[in-house]
Amino acid sequence: MTLLAYLDPGSGSILLQALLGGAAAIAITGKLWWARLLTILRIRKDPVDPPAESASARDEPERSRAS
Amino acid sequence: MPPEPAADPGSFRDPDSRVFRDGDRILRALSDRGLSDWERLVGSSFFGRMQEEGKIVPTERIEDPEATRHEGFPAAATLRHARVPFVSYPYEWPFSMLRDAALLQLELLRAALAEDMILKDASPFNVQWHGSRPVFIDVGSFELLPDGEPWAGYRQFCCLFLNPLMLQAYAELPFQSWLRGSLEGIEPAEARAVLRGRHTLRAGVLAHVALHARLERREGERDTRTEVKKAGFRKELIEANVARLQKLVGKLDWGSEKTAWSDYSDRAHYDAEELERKDRFVRETCASVGPGLTWDLGSNDGRYSRIAAEHSGYVVAVDGDHATVEALYRDLREARDERILPLVMDLADQSPARGWRGAERGRLEERGRPDLILCLALVHHLSIAANVPLAEVLDWLASLGGTVVIEFAGRDDEMVKRLLSRKRDDAHPDYTLESFEQALGQRFEIVRREPLASGLRTLYEARPR
Repeated sequence: MTLLAYLDPGSGSILLQALLGGAAAIAITGKLWWARLLTILRIRKDPVDPPAESASARDEPERSRAS
Repeated sequence: MPPEPAADPGSFRDPDSRVFRDGDRILRALSDRGLSDWERLVGSSFFGRMQEEGKIVPTERIEDPEATRHEGFPAAATLRHARVPFVSYPYEWPFSMLRDAALLQLELLRAALAEDMILKDASPFNVQWHGSRPVFIDVGSFELLPDGEPWAGYRQFCCLFLNPLMLQAYAELPFQSWLRGSLEGIEPAEARAVLRGRHTLRAGVLAHVALHARLERREGERDTRTEVKKAGFRKELIEANVARLQKLVGKLDWGSEKTAWSDYSDRAHYDAEELERKDRFVRETCASVGPGLTWDLGSNDGRYSRIAAEHSGYVVAVDGDHATVEALYRDLREARDERILPLVMDLADQSPARGWRGAERGRLEERGRPDLILCLALVHHLSIAANVPLAEVLDWLASLGGTVVIEFAGRDDEMVKRLLSRKRDDAHPDYTLESFEQALGQRFEIVRREPLASGLRTLYEARPR
Protein backbone atom coordinates (compact mmCIF):
# COMPACT_ATOMS: atom_id res chain seq x y z
CA MET A 1 0.00 0.00 0.00
CA THR A 2 1.23 3.46 -0.78
CA LEU A 3 1.14 5.87 2.11
CA LEU A 4 -0.17 9.24 1.10
CA ALA A 5 1.03 12.19 3.13
CA TYR A 6 -1.63 14.21 4.96
CA LEU A 7 0.04 17.22 3.41
CA ASP A 8 -0.29 17.76 -0.33
CA PRO A 9 3.34 17.90 -1.42
CA GLY A 10 2.44 19.94 -4.54
CA SER A 11 3.06 18.59 -8.07
CA GLY A 12 5.57 21.28 -8.98
CA SER A 13 7.37 20.94 -5.66
CA ILE A 14 7.79 17.20 -6.23
CA LEU A 15 9.32 17.72 -9.63
CA LEU A 16 11.61 20.40 -8.27
CA GLN A 17 12.90 18.00 -5.64
CA ALA A 18 13.84 15.56 -8.39
CA LEU A 19 15.82 18.36 -10.05
CA LEU A 20 17.51 19.65 -6.89
CA GLY A 21 18.85 16.33 -5.69
CA GLY A 22 22.49 16.94 -6.67
CA ALA A 23 24.33 14.29 -8.69
CA ALA A 24 21.62 11.70 -8.14
CA ALA A 25 19.15 14.08 -9.75
CA ILE A 26 20.73 13.83 -13.20
CA ALA A 27 19.75 10.20 -13.76
CA ILE A 28 16.26 10.70 -12.35
CA THR A 29 15.63 13.80 -14.42
CA GLY A 30 16.84 12.03 -17.55
CA LYS A 31 14.49 9.11 -16.94
CA LEU A 32 11.64 11.44 -16.15
CA TRP A 33 11.87 13.41 -19.37
CA TRP A 34 12.53 10.26 -21.39
CA ALA A 35 9.30 8.80 -20.04
CA ARG A 36 7.45 11.98 -20.94
CA LEU A 37 8.92 11.93 -24.45
CA LEU A 38 7.81 8.33 -24.99
CA THR A 39 4.35 9.30 -23.82
CA ILE A 40 4.22 12.23 -26.20
CA LEU A 41 5.34 9.98 -29.06
CA ARG A 42 2.63 7.53 -27.98
CA ILE A 43 5.22 4.78 -27.57
CA ARG A 44 4.18 4.42 -23.94
CA LYS A 45 0.79 4.75 -22.31
CA ASP A 46 0.37 7.84 -20.15
CA PRO A 47 2.04 6.88 -16.89
CA VAL A 48 0.59 9.77 -15.00
CA ASP A 49 -3.05 8.72 -14.88
CA PRO A 50 -3.87 9.11 -11.22
CA PRO A 51 -5.51 6.15 -9.51
CA ALA A 52 -9.27 6.41 -9.88
CA GLU A 53 -10.11 6.76 -6.20
CA SER A 54 -7.84 9.73 -5.68
CA ALA A 55 -8.71 11.54 -8.91
CA SER A 56 -11.39 13.74 -7.42
CA ALA A 57 -9.35 14.45 -4.32
CA ARG A 58 -6.67 15.97 -6.49
CA ASP A 59 -8.92 18.56 -8.05
CA GLU A 60 -8.44 21.03 -5.27
CA PRO A 61 -5.21 20.31 -3.45
CA GLU A 62 -5.56 20.99 0.21
CA ARG A 63 -2.35 22.22 1.68
CA SER A 64 -2.46 21.68 5.34
CA ARG A 65 -0.24 22.95 8.04
CA ALA A 66 1.10 21.00 10.90
CA SER A 67 -0.62 19.82 13.97
CA MET B 1 -16.80 9.89 34.94
CA PRO B 2 -14.28 12.72 34.49
CA PRO B 3 -14.82 15.11 31.59
CA GLU B 4 -13.10 14.40 28.28
CA PRO B 5 -9.67 16.00 28.09
CA ALA B 6 -9.65 19.09 25.91
CA ALA B 7 -8.37 18.58 22.38
CA ASP B 8 -5.88 21.30 21.54
CA PRO B 9 -7.63 23.51 18.96
CA GLY B 10 -4.37 23.93 17.03
CA SER B 11 -3.77 20.22 16.51
CA PHE B 12 -6.18 18.34 14.30
CA ARG B 13 -4.72 18.27 10.81
CA ASP B 14 -2.53 15.24 11.17
CA PRO B 15 -4.89 12.25 11.33
CA ASP B 16 -2.30 10.13 13.12
CA SER B 17 -1.46 12.36 16.03
CA ARG B 18 -3.46 14.76 18.15
CA VAL B 19 -2.65 16.89 21.16
CA PHE B 20 -4.81 17.11 24.29
CA ARG B 21 -4.60 19.22 27.41
CA ASP B 22 -5.42 17.61 30.69
CA GLY B 23 -4.93 20.28 33.32
CA ASP B 24 -1.21 20.94 33.28
CA ARG B 25 -0.42 17.86 31.27
CA ILE B 26 0.25 18.04 27.53
CA LEU B 27 -0.72 14.70 25.99
CA ARG B 28 -0.60 13.32 22.49
CA ALA B 29 -2.85 10.56 21.21
CA LEU B 30 -1.50 8.38 18.42
CA SER B 31 -3.37 6.31 15.85
CA ASP B 32 -2.20 2.79 15.01
CA ARG B 33 0.08 4.17 12.34
CA GLY B 34 1.22 6.95 14.65
CA LEU B 35 2.13 4.32 17.21
CA SER B 36 4.25 2.32 14.80
CA ASP B 37 6.06 5.53 13.80
CA TRP B 38 6.60 6.33 17.49
CA GLU B 39 8.07 2.89 18.13
CA ARG B 40 10.42 3.37 15.24
CA LEU B 41 11.40 6.81 16.58
CA VAL B 42 12.09 5.51 20.07
CA GLY B 43 14.30 2.82 18.57
CA SER B 44 16.35 5.37 16.61
CA SER B 45 19.70 6.64 17.80
CA PHE B 46 18.96 10.33 17.24
CA PHE B 47 15.74 10.67 19.24
CA GLY B 48 17.31 10.22 22.68
CA ARG B 49 20.31 12.31 21.74
CA MET B 50 18.21 15.22 20.45
CA GLN B 51 16.09 15.18 23.60
CA GLU B 52 19.22 15.32 25.75
CA GLU B 53 20.52 18.22 23.72
CA GLY B 54 17.23 20.02 24.28
CA LYS B 55 16.30 20.00 20.60
CA ILE B 56 13.22 17.78 20.88
CA VAL B 57 10.66 18.21 23.64
CA PRO B 58 11.07 15.55 26.37
CA THR B 59 8.42 12.92 25.68
CA GLU B 60 7.40 9.67 27.30
CA ARG B 61 4.75 7.09 26.64
CA ILE B 62 2.20 6.73 29.41
CA GLU B 63 -0.25 3.92 30.08
CA ASP B 64 -3.37 5.95 30.63
CA PRO B 65 -5.87 5.34 27.83
CA GLU B 66 -8.50 7.47 29.60
CA ALA B 67 -6.24 10.50 29.41
CA THR B 68 -6.87 11.00 25.71
CA ARG B 69 -10.34 9.46 25.47
CA HIS B 70 -11.98 11.48 22.74
CA GLU B 71 -14.83 10.91 20.38
CA GLY B 72 -13.60 10.35 16.86
CA PHE B 73 -9.99 9.71 17.78
CA PRO B 74 -9.41 6.23 19.13
CA ALA B 75 -5.93 6.35 20.59
CA ALA B 76 -3.62 3.40 20.14
CA ALA B 77 -1.16 5.01 22.52
CA THR B 78 -0.71 8.15 24.59
CA LEU B 79 2.41 10.26 24.93
CA ARG B 80 3.13 12.92 27.49
CA HIS B 81 5.21 15.97 26.58
CA ALA B 82 7.05 18.38 28.83
CA ARG B 83 5.46 21.84 28.74
CA VAL B 84 7.03 24.78 27.00
CA PRO B 85 6.95 27.89 29.20
CA PHE B 86 5.02 30.13 26.79
CA VAL B 87 3.67 29.39 23.30
CA SER B 88 4.68 31.78 20.53
CA TYR B 89 4.18 31.89 16.78
CA PRO B 90 6.50 32.58 13.84
CA TYR B 91 4.76 35.89 13.09
CA GLU B 92 5.99 37.05 16.49
CA TRP B 93 9.62 36.06 15.97
CA PRO B 94 12.43 38.22 14.70
CA PHE B 95 14.38 37.09 11.65
CA SER B 96 17.03 35.04 13.46
CA MET B 97 14.46 33.12 15.49
CA LEU B 98 12.72 31.98 12.31
CA ARG B 99 16.11 31.19 10.81
CA ASP B 100 17.23 29.15 13.84
CA ALA B 101 13.90 27.32 13.87
CA ALA B 102 14.45 26.48 10.18
CA LEU B 103 17.93 25.16 10.90
CA LEU B 104 16.61 23.00 13.74
CA GLN B 105 13.91 21.61 11.43
CA LEU B 106 16.54 20.74 8.79
CA GLU B 107 18.94 19.24 11.34
CA LEU B 108 16.23 16.93 12.66
CA LEU B 109 15.15 16.03 9.15
CA ARG B 110 18.68 15.04 8.23
CA ALA B 111 19.11 12.97 11.37
CA ALA B 112 15.81 11.24 10.65
CA LEU B 113 16.73 10.52 7.01
CA ALA B 114 19.95 8.84 8.11
CA GLU B 115 17.78 6.26 9.87
CA ASP B 116 15.16 5.94 7.14
CA MET B 117 12.68 8.22 8.81
CA ILE B 118 11.40 11.62 7.75
CA LEU B 119 9.48 14.63 9.04
CA LYS B 120 6.10 14.50 7.35
CA ASP B 121 5.69 18.29 7.47
CA ALA B 122 7.84 21.39 7.91
CA SER B 123 5.98 23.95 9.95
CA PRO B 124 7.52 26.59 12.20
CA PHE B 125 4.47 26.15 14.45
CA ASN B 126 6.15 22.87 15.43
CA VAL B 127 9.01 24.79 17.00
CA GLN B 128 8.69 26.50 20.37
CA TRP B 129 11.18 28.19 22.68
CA HIS B 130 12.84 28.01 26.04
CA GLY B 131 14.05 31.59 25.98
CA SER B 132 16.53 31.66 23.11
CA ARG B 133 16.65 27.87 22.70
CA PRO B 134 14.38 26.41 20.03
CA VAL B 135 12.76 23.07 20.73
CA PHE B 136 10.86 20.85 18.32
CA ILE B 137 7.52 19.86 19.82
CA ASP B 138 5.71 17.78 17.22
CA VAL B 139 7.00 14.30 17.90
CA GLY B 140 4.12 13.00 15.77
CA SER B 141 5.80 14.49 12.69
CA PHE B 142 8.41 11.74 12.54
CA GLU B 143 7.39 8.86 10.35
CA LEU B 144 8.85 5.95 8.47
CA LEU B 145 10.33 7.15 5.18
CA PRO B 146 7.95 5.96 2.48
CA ASP B 147 9.90 4.23 -0.28
CA GLY B 148 10.46 6.33 -3.40
CA GLU B 149 8.48 9.28 -2.07
CA PRO B 150 9.73 12.85 -2.10
CA TRP B 151 9.70 15.02 1.01
CA ALA B 152 6.06 16.04 1.44
CA GLY B 153 7.04 18.99 3.62
CA TYR B 154 9.36 20.69 1.11
CA ARG B 155 6.73 23.07 -0.22
CA GLN B 156 5.64 23.94 3.30
CA PHE B 157 9.25 24.57 4.24
CA CYS B 158 9.51 27.07 1.39
CA CYS B 159 6.21 28.79 2.22
CA LEU B 160 6.70 29.11 5.97
CA PHE B 161 10.47 29.25 6.45
CA LEU B 162 12.51 29.92 3.35
CA ASN B 163 10.39 32.47 1.50
CA PRO B 164 9.77 34.65 4.57
CA LEU B 165 13.49 34.58 5.38
CA MET B 166 14.55 35.40 1.83
CA LEU B 167 12.01 38.22 1.51
CA GLN B 168 13.38 39.78 4.68
CA ALA B 169 17.04 39.19 3.89
CA TYR B 170 16.95 40.13 0.20
CA ALA B 171 14.10 42.61 -0.12
CA GLU B 172 13.78 44.05 3.44
CA LEU B 173 10.16 42.92 3.47
CA PRO B 174 9.00 42.23 7.05
CA PHE B 175 7.58 38.72 7.02
CA GLN B 176 5.63 38.90 10.30
CA SER B 177 2.57 40.70 8.99
CA TRP B 178 2.42 38.38 5.97
CA LEU B 179 2.64 35.23 8.09
CA ARG B 180 0.07 36.67 10.44
CA GLY B 181 -2.25 37.17 7.51
CA SER B 182 -1.67 33.70 6.06
CA LEU B 183 -1.01 30.68 8.22
CA GLU B 184 -0.12 28.79 5.03
CA GLY B 185 2.76 31.17 4.48
CA ILE B 186 4.13 32.75 1.32
CA GLU B 187 3.63 30.68 -1.82
CA PRO B 188 6.36 30.36 -4.46
CA ALA B 189 4.45 32.53 -6.95
CA GLU B 190 3.90 35.21 -4.31
CA ALA B 191 7.56 35.23 -3.32
CA ARG B 192 8.46 35.41 -7.00
CA ALA B 193 6.32 38.52 -7.41
CA VAL B 194 8.74 40.30 -5.08
CA LEU B 195 11.99 38.45 -5.72
CA ARG B 196 12.37 39.42 -9.38
CA GLY B 197 15.01 41.16 -11.46
CA ARG B 198 18.32 41.52 -9.62
CA HIS B 199 16.95 39.40 -6.73
CA THR B 200 16.89 36.40 -9.08
CA LEU B 201 20.66 36.18 -8.78
CA ARG B 202 20.63 35.94 -4.97
CA ALA B 203 21.36 32.52 -3.47
CA GLY B 204 18.39 30.18 -3.60
CA VAL B 205 16.00 32.42 -5.53
CA LEU B 206 16.41 30.84 -8.95
CA ALA B 207 15.78 27.29 -7.75
CA HIS B 208 13.45 27.55 -4.76
CA VAL B 209 11.44 30.57 -5.91
CA ALA B 210 11.63 31.18 -9.67
CA LEU B 211 11.76 27.57 -10.85
CA HIS B 212 9.42 26.47 -8.08
CA ALA B 213 6.78 29.01 -9.09
CA ARG B 214 7.15 28.09 -12.75
CA LEU B 215 6.88 24.35 -12.17
CA GLU B 216 3.92 24.84 -9.91
CA ARG B 217 2.13 26.78 -12.62
CA ARG B 218 3.00 24.27 -15.33
CA GLU B 219 2.72 20.98 -13.47
CA GLY B 220 -0.28 21.71 -11.28
CA GLU B 221 -2.46 19.05 -12.87
CA ARG B 222 0.09 16.29 -13.33
CA ASP B 223 0.63 13.36 -11.02
CA THR B 224 4.34 13.99 -10.71
CA ARG B 225 4.44 11.84 -7.60
CA THR B 226 3.91 8.69 -9.62
CA GLU B 227 6.24 9.95 -12.32
CA VAL B 228 9.24 10.58 -10.08
CA LYS B 229 8.64 7.33 -8.27
CA LYS B 230 8.78 5.42 -11.54
CA ALA B 231 11.92 7.28 -12.51
CA GLY B 232 13.57 5.96 -9.36
CA PHE B 233 13.26 8.77 -6.81
CA ARG B 234 15.21 7.88 -3.67
CA LYS B 235 16.35 9.16 -0.32
CA GLU B 236 19.66 10.57 -1.58
CA LEU B 237 17.79 13.24 -3.51
CA ILE B 238 16.04 14.48 -0.38
CA GLU B 239 19.33 14.42 1.50
CA ALA B 240 21.06 16.45 -1.21
CA ASN B 241 18.22 18.99 -1.24
CA VAL B 242 18.20 19.28 2.55
CA ALA B 243 21.98 19.75 2.63
CA ARG B 244 21.61 22.59 0.11
CA LEU B 245 18.87 24.15 2.17
CA GLN B 246 20.99 23.98 5.32
CA LYS B 247 23.79 25.81 3.55
CA LEU B 248 21.41 28.38 2.10
CA VAL B 249 19.50 29.13 5.30
CA GLY B 250 22.74 29.22 7.31
CA LYS B 251 23.98 32.06 5.12
CA LEU B 252 20.82 34.14 5.18
CA ASP B 253 21.33 37.24 7.27
CA TRP B 254 19.35 40.28 8.30
CA GLY B 255 19.80 42.83 11.03
CA SER B 256 23.54 42.42 11.64
CA GLU B 257 24.17 46.13 11.17
CA LYS B 258 21.13 47.19 13.14
CA THR B 259 22.39 46.45 16.63
CA ALA B 260 21.96 50.05 17.77
CA TRP B 261 18.64 50.26 19.61
CA SER B 262 16.18 52.00 17.43
CA ASP B 263 14.71 53.93 20.32
CA TYR B 264 17.38 54.95 22.77
CA SER B 265 15.83 58.35 23.27
CA ASP B 266 13.41 57.13 25.93
CA ARG B 267 16.29 56.47 28.25
CA ALA B 268 18.65 59.21 27.16
CA HIS B 269 17.57 61.77 29.73
CA TYR B 270 17.96 59.52 32.75
CA ASP B 271 21.22 60.09 34.54
CA ALA B 272 23.08 57.15 36.05
CA GLU B 273 21.72 57.67 39.54
CA GLU B 274 18.12 57.81 38.37
CA LEU B 275 18.56 54.84 36.12
CA GLU B 276 19.79 52.97 39.15
CA ARG B 277 16.71 54.02 41.14
CA LYS B 278 14.48 52.81 38.31
CA ASP B 279 16.34 49.50 38.22
CA ARG B 280 15.95 49.15 41.98
CA PHE B 281 12.23 49.91 41.83
CA VAL B 282 11.71 47.18 39.24
CA ARG B 283 13.94 44.73 41.07
CA GLU B 284 12.17 45.28 44.41
CA THR B 285 8.74 44.79 42.89
CA CYS B 286 9.82 41.61 41.11
CA ALA B 287 11.30 40.27 44.33
CA SER B 288 8.15 40.99 46.32
CA VAL B 289 5.74 39.59 43.70
CA GLY B 290 7.91 36.57 42.84
CA PRO B 291 6.06 36.11 39.55
CA GLY B 292 5.81 32.84 37.68
CA LEU B 293 5.31 34.72 34.43
CA THR B 294 6.36 38.30 33.74
CA TRP B 295 5.52 40.30 30.64
CA ASP B 296 7.85 43.13 29.74
CA LEU B 297 5.81 45.26 27.34
CA GLY B 298 7.95 47.63 25.29
CA SER B 299 11.05 45.69 26.26
CA ASN B 300 13.54 47.60 24.09
CA ASP B 301 17.06 46.23 24.74
CA GLY B 302 15.78 43.92 27.47
CA ARG B 303 17.35 45.77 30.41
CA TYR B 304 14.26 45.28 32.59
CA SER B 305 13.51 41.82 31.24
CA ARG B 306 16.88 40.77 32.57
CA ILE B 307 16.20 42.35 35.95
CA ALA B 308 12.77 40.69 36.05
CA ALA B 309 14.28 37.34 35.12
CA GLU B 310 16.27 37.36 38.37
CA HIS B 311 13.01 36.79 40.25
CA SER B 312 10.60 35.41 37.62
CA GLY B 313 9.92 31.92 36.43
CA TYR B 314 9.85 33.17 32.85
CA VAL B 315 9.82 36.51 31.07
CA VAL B 316 8.09 37.33 27.78
CA ALA B 317 9.70 40.46 26.31
CA VAL B 318 7.53 42.18 23.72
CA ASP B 319 8.50 45.08 21.50
CA GLY B 320 7.09 46.41 18.25
CA ASP B 321 10.44 47.16 16.65
CA HIS B 322 11.78 44.22 14.65
CA ALA B 323 15.41 45.35 14.61
CA THR B 324 15.38 45.86 18.38
CA VAL B 325 13.95 42.42 19.09
CA GLU B 326 16.39 40.88 16.60
CA ALA B 327 19.30 42.43 18.51
CA LEU B 328 17.85 41.27 21.85
CA TYR B 329 17.46 37.72 20.57
CA ARG B 330 21.05 37.66 19.34
CA ASP B 331 22.28 38.82 22.75
CA LEU B 332 20.16 36.25 24.57
CA ARG B 333 21.29 33.49 22.21
CA GLU B 334 24.91 34.47 22.77
CA ALA B 335 24.33 34.24 26.53
CA ARG B 336 22.37 30.95 26.11
CA ASP B 337 19.56 32.57 28.04
CA GLU B 338 16.54 30.30 28.55
CA ARG B 339 14.44 32.58 30.75
CA ILE B 340 13.56 35.44 28.40
CA LEU B 341 11.44 34.99 25.26
CA PRO B 342 11.76 37.98 22.90
CA LEU B 343 8.77 38.64 20.65
CA VAL B 344 7.96 41.22 17.95
CA MET B 345 4.50 42.65 18.36
CA ASP B 346 2.84 46.01 18.00
CA LEU B 347 0.87 46.26 21.22
CA ALA B 348 -1.69 48.48 19.55
CA ASP B 349 -2.25 45.72 16.97
CA GLN B 350 -1.69 42.47 18.82
CA SER B 351 -1.63 38.90 17.55
CA PRO B 352 -5.21 37.95 16.81
CA ALA B 353 -6.97 34.62 17.16
CA ARG B 354 -6.23 32.80 13.91
CA GLY B 355 -7.02 29.70 11.90
CA TRP B 356 -10.04 27.44 11.83
CA ARG B 357 -12.80 29.05 13.88
CA GLY B 358 -10.25 31.49 15.19
CA ALA B 359 -9.09 28.87 17.63
CA GLU B 360 -5.91 27.36 16.20
CA ARG B 361 -3.59 30.17 17.18
CA GLY B 362 -4.43 32.16 20.26
CA ARG B 363 -4.09 35.76 21.34
CA LEU B 364 -1.27 36.59 23.70
CA GLU B 365 -3.34 36.51 26.88
CA GLU B 366 -4.90 33.18 25.93
CA ARG B 367 -1.48 31.58 26.16
CA GLY B 368 -0.73 32.41 29.77
CA ARG B 369 -1.59 35.22 32.17
CA PRO B 370 1.23 37.31 33.60
CA ASP B 371 1.67 37.68 37.36
CA LEU B 372 3.70 40.81 36.74
CA ILE B 373 3.58 43.29 33.87
CA LEU B 374 6.29 45.85 33.20
CA CYS B 375 5.10 48.88 31.21
CA LEU B 376 8.12 51.10 31.14
CA ALA B 377 8.28 53.96 28.65
CA LEU B 378 5.23 52.52 26.94
CA VAL B 379 2.06 54.35 27.91
CA HIS B 380 2.84 57.53 25.94
CA HIS B 381 3.54 55.48 22.81
CA LEU B 382 0.19 53.72 23.08
CA SER B 383 -1.78 56.69 24.22
CA ILE B 384 -0.32 59.48 22.08
CA ALA B 385 1.34 57.82 19.09
CA ALA B 386 -1.29 55.08 18.65
CA ASN B 387 -4.26 57.10 19.99
CA VAL B 388 -5.44 54.41 22.42
CA PRO B 389 -7.22 56.27 25.24
CA LEU B 390 -5.45 56.06 28.62
CA ALA B 391 -8.50 54.39 30.18
CA GLU B 392 -8.45 51.70 27.48
CA VAL B 393 -4.76 50.98 28.07
CA LEU B 394 -5.38 50.61 31.80
CA ASP B 395 -8.54 48.54 31.28
CA TRP B 396 -6.55 46.05 29.24
CA LEU B 397 -3.74 45.86 31.79
CA ALA B 398 -6.25 45.40 34.61
CA SER B 399 -7.98 42.59 32.69
CA LEU B 400 -4.73 40.60 32.75
CA GLY B 401 -4.94 40.29 36.51
CA GLY B 402 -1.29 40.84 37.45
CA THR B 403 0.67 43.45 39.34
CA VAL B 404 1.94 46.28 37.12
CA VAL B 405 5.01 48.42 37.20
CA ILE B 406 4.02 51.34 35.03
CA GLU B 407 5.82 54.50 34.04
CA PHE B 408 4.05 57.73 33.17
CA ALA B 409 5.92 60.41 31.24
CA GLY B 410 4.40 63.89 31.66
CA ARG B 411 3.75 66.43 28.92
CA ASP B 412 7.10 68.14 29.49
CA ASP B 413 9.05 64.96 28.90
CA GLU B 414 11.18 65.24 25.74
CA MET B 415 9.77 62.08 24.16
CA VAL B 416 6.19 63.10 24.94
CA LYS B 417 6.83 66.59 23.57
CA ARG B 418 8.10 65.06 20.37
CA LEU B 419 5.07 62.80 20.04
CA LEU B 420 2.66 65.66 20.80
CA SER B 421 4.40 68.00 18.35
CA ARG B 422 3.16 65.80 15.52
CA LYS B 423 -0.45 66.31 16.63
CA ARG B 424 -2.65 69.39 16.57
CA ASP B 425 -2.19 71.75 19.52
CA ASP B 426 -5.22 70.66 21.54
CA ALA B 427 -4.71 66.93 21.05
CA HIS B 428 -4.82 64.57 24.06
CA PRO B 429 -6.01 67.11 26.66
CA ASP B 430 -6.58 64.24 29.12
CA TYR B 431 -2.96 63.16 28.96
CA THR B 432 -1.92 64.47 32.38
CA LEU B 433 -0.40 62.98 35.50
CA GLU B 434 -3.56 63.71 37.49
CA SER B 435 -5.95 61.97 35.13
CA PHE B 436 -3.53 59.06 34.70
CA GLU B 437 -3.15 58.57 38.42
CA GLN B 438 -6.89 58.79 38.95
CA ALA B 439 -7.58 56.24 36.21
CA LEU B 440 -4.87 53.95 37.58
CA GLY B 441 -6.28 54.23 41.11
CA GLN B 442 -9.76 53.27 39.89
CA ARG B 443 -8.50 49.99 38.50
CA PHE B 444 -5.57 49.11 40.73
CA GLU B 445 -4.41 49.61 44.25
CA ILE B 446 -1.40 51.92 43.98
CA VAL B 447 1.24 50.42 46.26
CA ARG B 448 3.93 53.06 45.76
CA ARG B 449 5.08 55.77 43.42
CA GLU B 450 8.47 57.24 42.66
CA PRO B 451 9.19 60.43 40.71
CA LEU B 452 12.04 60.14 38.25
CA ALA B 453 13.84 62.24 35.65
CA SER B 454 13.53 65.40 37.75
CA GLY B 455 9.81 64.87 38.12
CA LEU B 456 9.13 64.49 34.39
CA ARG B 457 8.35 60.81 34.83
CA THR B 458 6.68 58.81 37.57
CA LEU B 459 6.97 55.13 38.32
CA TYR B 460 4.12 53.20 39.95
CA GLU B 461 3.69 49.77 41.44
CA ALA B 462 0.03 48.87 41.32
CA ARG B 463 -1.77 45.68 42.30
CA PRO B 464 -5.04 44.42 40.92
CA ARG B 465 -8.11 45.24 42.99
